[in-house]
Amino acid sequence: MNTTLKLPDQASKASDSMPPPSAPVQRPQPAITPQAYGVPPTPQAVQTPSHADTGMTHAQNIVPTLQNIVATVNLDCRLDLKTIALHARNAEYNPKRFAAVIMRIRDPKTTALIFASGKMVVTGAKSEDDSKLASRKYARIIQKLGFDAKFSEFKIQNIVGSCDVKFPIRLEGLAYTHGHFSSYEPELFPGLIYRMVKPKVVLLIFVSGKIVLTGAKVREEIYTAFNNIYATLLDYRKP
Amino acid sequence: MANAQNYFELYRRSSIGIALTDSLDELITSGHINPQLAMKVLSQFDKSMMDALSNQVKNKTQMKGHLHTYRLCDEVWTFIVKNPQMKVDQGELLTSDKIKIVACRNTEGNPFQQPTNQPANSAGSK
Repeated sequence: MNTTLKLPDQASKASDSMPPPSAPVQRPQPAITPQAYGVPPTPQAVQTPSHADTGMTHAQNIVPTLQNIVATVNLDCRLDLKTIALHARNAEYNPKRFAAVIMRIRDPKTTALIFASGKMVVTGAKSEDDSKLASRKYARIIQKLGFDAKFSEFKIQNIVGSCDVKFPIRLEGLAYTHGHFSSYEPELFPGLIYRMVKPKVVLLIFVSGKIVLTGAKVREEIYTAFNNIYATLLDYRKP
Repeated sequence: MANAQNYFELYRRSSIGIALTDSLDELITSGHINPQLAMKVLSQFDKSMMDALSNQVKNKTQMKGHLHTYRLCDEVWTFIVKNPQMKVDQGELLTSDKIKIVACRNTEGNPFQQPTNQPANSAGSK
């Protein structure tokens, strides 16, 4: 497909005039479609609604990859952490340091923090489905140890994505014109911190062109945030 | 000064510990010693093992393998390593299906010192 061959600097013109891409685009999680979340088309993708279908962005083939999903679950049952640490595999419990059992499973590769109140935090999953599956597995492990654990109030609290626009960026210029949203203190941190208001996502933008997006509750916020920023990044492309 | 109670009893399950326990049992059964003395000997054994391992053993061991399970509870780390490959002082390669490593906090000397985990290879191949 020609869409796969476009250069980044042609992107803004291209999305206006190009026919909607019909080639299926490799998505990290084909099972979840953006429509399921009722996401409105982003301003850049208005002309080609199929962008939203495929998860394709304004920046043609650059789709942020989900790197981490943090979710919470309420097992709705008091837990004796010592029993859990003693009987479960791959568990750490050092109450002097941290008042939770730290447990890991290999598939999906995740880490859970299990608190005596029955609340649990599951981190490290790469997709929403994995996060839920892992949370269920942890709940099952707790059940098998003899606790009356339920699986309630599962909620994704944060989604982190990243991508590479493959060109260097003038962070000073970006920080100057978007001063209201940006914080760039190279002596403190080498990246520019961009606090987008809509969607409410924080972006870490690095000179190298690598971008980290965090603070989203649903993956579409990550995609939308990247779509929103991409044109601006092109403006501040290093010559 | 630390009492005998402060020493870990985990080395009693090692080959040398089992041999000592068996001998003491035999001596008690034959009436040569009383059980109190046997207990005292075992406590001294715990202390001596700890002392010997922390002060006299200078060997370095290398280990490679697949960490199957780990656990930290009551300041004791337990590791089950599958297909371990061990080398003692660059010597011959020792292998096994799996090995269990129990590592306790070193209580020898100053109890406020940084915890230095002292590995004890109990239970070789299972």
